[in-house]
This record gives sequence, C-alpha cells and structure tokens, in this order.
Amino acid sequence: MAKKVLIVDDSESVRMIARLALREQGYEVVEAANGVEALQKLEGDRVHLVVSDVNMPQMDGITLLKQIKASARHKFMPIIMLTTEAGQDKKDEGRAAGAKAWITKPFQPKVLIDAVAKLMPAGA
Amino acid sequence: MDTQREIDATDELPQPPGAVLAAACSQALPIWAKQIDTARLQAQEAVVSLMQRFQNIINRLDTALGAARSQAGASTVADDAVQGQQLLAQVIEALRAIRSSRDALAHEIRGLAAYADELRKMSSDVEIIAFKTNMLALNAAIEAAHAGDVGKGFAVVAKEVRELSAAARDTGKSIGHKVGLISNSLAQIVSTNERVSTRDEAAVSESEQHIHTVLERFRQRTQLLTDSAARSNAESESIKDDVCEALVQLQFQDRTGQILQQVVASITQAQQLDSGANLESADQRVTDYLNGMAQTYTTDEQRQNHTGVASGELEPQGATFF
Repeated sequence: MAKKVLIVDDSESVRMIARLALREQGYEVVEAANGVEALQKLEGDRVHLVVSDVNMPQMDGITLLKQIKASARHKFMPIIMLTTEAGQDKKDEGRAAGAKAWITKPFQPKVLIDAVAKLMPAGA
Repeated sequence: MDTQREIDATDELPQPPGAVLAAACSQALPIWAKQIDTARLQAQEAVVSLMQRFQNIINRLDTALGAARSQAGASTVADDAVQGQQLLAQVIEALRAIRSSRDALAHEIRGLAAYADELRKMSSDVEIIAFKTNMLALNAAIEAAHAGDVGKGFAVVAKEVRELSAAARDTGKSIGHKVGLISNSLAQIVSTNERVSTRDEAAVSESEQHIHTVLERFRQRTQLLTDSAARSNAESESIKDDVCEALVQLQFQDRTGQILQQVVASITQAQQLDSGANLESADQRVTDYLNGMAQTYTTDEQRQNHTGVASGELEPQGATFF
C-alpha cells in the first residue's frame, strides 16, 4: 500500500508541483489549503507524513504543527515545513514546535522528494 | 467626480506641502488596493490554469510512456523475428537430419547390393557344383552299367543323384535370377534416392536463403520501428522533464502572490492611519505602521526592499533537517 502524504499550502500552484513530484515517486497525496482543513484531513485519512506551508489563512503552519504534535494520535507524525520564510528565527520556531525539516521556496522537487523519503516512517 | 471636486476645493486655498498628495492618496489607496488585488487574482488564476494544462500534458505523456514501457516488456516484433529465425534454423536442421538418415539408408542399401553380388556368385557356384555332381552321377551310371546286375542298385542311386543335381542347378539358376532382380531394384532405389536427395538439398538451400532474406528485411524494418519508438520515448521523456521544469519555474506566482497580498493589506491598513483617536504623534504613527508592515513580510526580498538593500537572485536551496 502506498504511503500517504498530506500537503498543506494555500497556493494551488505549490500544491500541484508537490503533488506531481510525490505521485511520481509512488506516494498517495491528499491536500489541504490551510491548517483547519489539514486537521480535518488528518482525522479522516491515515496520513504518514505532512508537508506544510507556514503563512496560510485561517490557521498558519506553525499553529498546525503545534496542534498535530499535541494530538496523541499524531504526535510522532514527521512534518516538513515548505515555505518562503528563510529566516533563522522562523526555522528555530519550527524546530521547537517539532518540525523535522525546513525547505525554503522556491524549491526543486528533488529536494522535497529526498526529504520525504528520508523522513517517511518505515512499515505500514 | 466627488474626488475631483474635493481636490478642486482644496486648490482654492493655500495648502501645506504634501496636503494635496495626501488627499489624493487617501482617495487612491483603496482603488490601488483593489487594482493590485485584481491583478494578483488574475495572475494567480492564469498561472493555475496554465499549470493545470501543463499537468494534463504530463499526464498524457505519462500515459503514452506507460503504454510504450508495457509494450517493451512484452514480446516485440523484433523478438518474434529472432524467434522465427531460430525456428527456421531448427526446421532446416530437421530436414538435414532426414537427408542424413536417407544417406545412411542408401549406404546400407549399397551394402545389400554387395551381398546380392555375392549371392549371385554363390548361386553360380551352386550351378557349377550341380553340373559337376551331374557329371559325377553320369559317370557313376556308366560304371554301374559296366558292373551288370551287381551295379543295378548303384545305377538307381546314380540316377537319383543326377536328378537332384539337375534340381540343384535349376534352383541355383532361379536364385541367381531372383538375386539379379533384387540387385536391380536396390540399384534403382539407390539411384532414385540420390536424385531425390540432391533435389531436396537444393530446395532446402534455396528455401533457407529466401526465408533468411525475408526475415532479414523484416528484422531491419522492425529495428527501424524499434529505434524510432525509442527516439520517440526519449523525446517524450525530455518534453516531460521540460514541462516539469516549467512548472517549477511557475512557483514565482506563489511568491509574487504573497508579496502583492501583503501590499494590499498594508494599503488597507494605511487608510486607518488618520482614523480614530490618535494620541501618538504623526511621526510615531508612521514608524509604528512601517514596523507593523515589516512584521508581515514572508520573504527575504520584502525585508530587503523595506530596508533598501538590493535583493539578490532567488536560488532554490536544499532542505535543513532538525
């Protein structure tokens, strides 16, 4: 069974690039346009890894990250932040909240693919 | 019209420096915000639509490449040609084996013909022995006649021996005749076999050559087709890579969208600068506004633009792992 990745970004174009890259590698991809939608998807789908933007309407990526880590069901979920934010302060904030990797936009799909492959949990 | 009237009205009296600009800006700011947001949304819509088309192209290329890969995995026409050539070689080999067996048979038949010659000689020997026996029996009969009554019994034996030798001579002749017939038949078989064998060999060689020619042409055609398909697949892969790269380049839309969104939000916020109870000085309010604006930046180039530092070229970076 294919591993499932949740892509959270308010930009449809970024979601599309990430979706194409990850599907090409055999991953199943679900999408959300903000943190609130992402939490709903996490309730319904069995997701193995989350790729999230930081600046989004309704609920930003750092808040989403904190909420996921606060959930008993998802506290071990690997999360990659994919954002235009390149400042060290934001990266430190993301790391403190439990992110496993930080990718700055614009990004090459291979960078995302390698990061997902590295952090994807083994097993079912 | 209202805006024009207000500007005209303010022209009638001496105005402090920048007052007209401020009045114009206060009217223009919401319009600029709307214009920028409209442009942002239009660009976003167009880019997403363009990306959707690119994705459709990639999906179609994937379908075509997938079909080509599955065909390549199965038995190809070129493989069939090679297999046909191998089967033909087996058939030719089988025909040669049949010819070889026939040659062996002919060899055996020639051996039988040699035996037939020996049998003919033996039958001839039987005739000679019968003749000599007959002569011997004749002499015995003469001697028996000379012996008178005493030789009568011996004369009977001599007569019987003569009759037996005559029968032996007839049998020897008969054997010789039959052996001659068999020998002729065998010679006929050998001759026919050799004629057929020569004709078969020529037919097999000719057929082999024709089929090889046809299969070689077939192989060349299929090789051309295979090469052409391989080139087409490589081109498709290359086009797909280019389209994927174009998609990656379109990430600028996300970035420019965020920058324009921030500009619109700042313009909207600027309209509130003169409203409400303003306890702080104008300079302080402008400083607070600009500081607040800086807090909402999401990209390095926004921060660099704000501070007046020239922004560098944007290069994709690697991932930072924690």
